[in-house]
Amino acid sequence: MKFYVCIKQVPDVNAPLQIKDGQLIQDADRNILNAYDASAVEEALVMKEAHGGEIEVVLIGPEKAKETIRKALAMGADSGSHILTTGDENLDSYSYATLLAAFFKDKEYSYILCGKQSQDTDAGLTGSMLAELLGVPYATNAVGLEVANSSMLVKRQGDTGQELLEVPSPGLVTCSNDMNDPRIPNLKGIMQSKRKPVDTIPVNDLGVDISGENVKTSVISFEEKPTREPGKKYEGEPDEIAKQVAQLLDTAENVI
Amino acid sequence: MSTLLTYISVSEGKIKRSSLEVLSRCNELAAQHGLKSAALVVDSDPSAAAEQLKKYGPDLIYTIENPIFKNHLNTPLLKALTTAVEKLSPKVVAFASTEGSKDILGALAANQKAAPLADVSEFELTDTGVKAKRPVMASKIISAVQAEGPTVILTVRSGSYDVVEKAGDAAIESIPFEFSDDQLKITLKEIIGAAGDKIDLSEAETVIAAGRGVKDDEGRKLIDELASVLNAAIGASRALTEAGVYDPSLQIGQTGKVVSPQLYIGIGISGAIQHVAGMANSKVIVAINKDADAPIFEIADYGIVGDLYKVLPPFIEELKKVKSN
Ligand SMILES: Cc1cc2nc3c(=O)[nH]c(=O)nc-3n(C[C@H](O)[C@H](O)[C@H](O)COP(=O)(O)OP(=O)(O)OC[C@H]3O[C@@H](n4cnc5c(N)ncnc54)[C@H](O)[C@@H]3O)c2cc1C
Ligand SMILES: Nc1ncnc2c1ncn2[C@@H]1O[C@H](COP(=O)(O)O)[C@@H](O)[C@H]1O
Repeated sequence: MKFYVCIKQVPDVNAPLQIKDGQLIQDADRNILNAYDASAVEEALVMKEAHGGEIEVVLIGPEKAKETIRKALAMGADSGSHILTTGDENLDSYSYATLLAAFFKDKEYSYILCGKQSQDTDAGLTGSMLAELLGVPYATNAVGLEVANSSMLVKRQGDTGQELLEVPSPGLVTCSNDMNDPRIPNLKGIMQSKRKPVDTIPVNDLGVDISGENVKTSVISFEEKPTREPGKKYEGEPDEIAKQVAQLLDTAENVI
Repeated sequence: MSTLLTYISVSEGKIKRSSLEVLSRCNELAAQHGLKSAALVVDSDPSAAAEQLKKYGPDLIYTIENPIFKNHLNTPLLKALTTAVEKLSPKVVAFASTEGSKDILGALAANQKAAPLADVSEFELTDTGVKAKRPVMASKIISAVQAEGPTVILTVRSGSYDVVEKAGDAAIESIPFEFSDDQLKITLKEIIGAAGDKIDLSEAETVIAAGRGVKDDEGRKLIDELASVLNAAIGASRALTEAGVYDPSLQIGQTGKVVSPQLYIGIGISGAIQHVAGMANSKVIVAINKDADAPIFEIADYGIVGDLYKVLPPFIEELKKVKSN
């Protein structure tokens, strides 16, 4: 089986952030492999270990995102394609999906795996958009994958229960981080990753217009979230605290 | 005249409150801009829901009926929405943000070449599209965004707008729709562990959330008791859904669900940003944690520092007393 995993480099949401004049500033330029994509890579590795096959990761991003491709290769992916941008383009999920569709147009694959969303923007659009542009069946928010004969059984987390879906090949699945704990690359993996092939494709070579109609949304500015002031802390005798808080929830807040 | 189309999500014949929130917002925008507000029910049996919708005042009500909609499946839902969008050419197609709508948002945008906006907390119309706000960076920051184009497709976080009733008597029009099983691209083999008659977490007025501090059956029993006294929905942090203690559909946070109850009580939860992303819009936040420095206390209105096993029994007793008065 040939798996492609679409991976994205995202700013680490745990790093300190500031907003200046409506712009988002990361104090430390800390970037990571999107957690949901790490789960997708992990799942592909597990399937490859069980059934054989090949895993290629694809990333659209600037030069510095190469380290994220290396991370996936160090986890165990076989090769990478880096669709190289300058980092100054205004790209949204629509343009990423359009670029990826152009990349996959003449590729053969069993399944494309994506993350269910980007950790920084929580958009969750690219996967199903790409599937629709490619005209392949898809399932989103997978919490479990299993290869069965020539198709894939996907356990999808729905609004209430879970759905067990059969997605034929070629198809696309978006992965939740709820299905596994991605492995941490070991030293051997890191050494090997340096010798694995990474193909660099300048973004303009894909023949997609990324200045006009394929960019549908843009960020106007960033704003601080209205802060919540911490309320009162209650420490001491549980019986006393219980009484006080229960009373206040009733009389002062009227929420019970 | 151009329309704003709200997709009404229905579960077991009942309209989801979050869809009515979105419809209320679209009604308001339609009135401001001289447009029509239309509501669409896609279901195996949409008539009762369509009838109920009248009292929320859309100008137009559409239904798409087919037995295939008994269970969620992206292929037929996408086809139904494509049919409706092509018929109505709406300026906006708005959904409540659910796993069901997230499943097709991107695909619908791609096949309509329309601009998508996921999970907005506010939206406005502009001359050329939509302006909206959405939380980003695990909801630490708000981004103001704009989407351009004749049709913008968006999903709205639950709790973003109030439900407003508005007398109306819109006609109900059924949109013709055919679907045969051989058009299914993926097949549903089984539904596992649907939550059934439990209170819907994302719409609950009161939410009790259990975290890693809830260690054993005794802890779970206390959570159950508290939830039953307050008639609350139970949610959990990822620590407990991952450990299999609670069903994954109960996870609150960035990966899980967004809740916006009147009262949220977090028990043995540290308050990691990815959890807070899903509950920061609760009206009143109570936290019980034995670590006085737990981050959850930074956003809690009532921070109870203590061992949950010691705090919950008297708390449950006091709440029972208050409730019975
Ligand atoms: C991309 C991504 C997405 C994520 N999505 C989610 C999500 O949707 N939802 C989510 O919840 N998490 C999510 N997480 C995980 C999140 O970062 C935290 O790991 C998780 O929320 C921690 O759960 P917790 O608070 O229960 O556990 P912990 O952080 O371990 O906290 C347990 C708390 O319990 C307290 N405690 C222990 N014993 C007692 C006692 N006897 N009495 C009182 N207090 C006690 C401790 O003091 C501690 O503060 C995500 C992470 C990532 C990277
Ligand atoms: N720049 C990118 N390069 C490769 N894959 C991407 C990129 N952006 C998004 N994706 C994929 O699409 C998923 C969802 O992204 P989003 O729509 O931004 O939430 C991610 O988890 C990735 O799998």
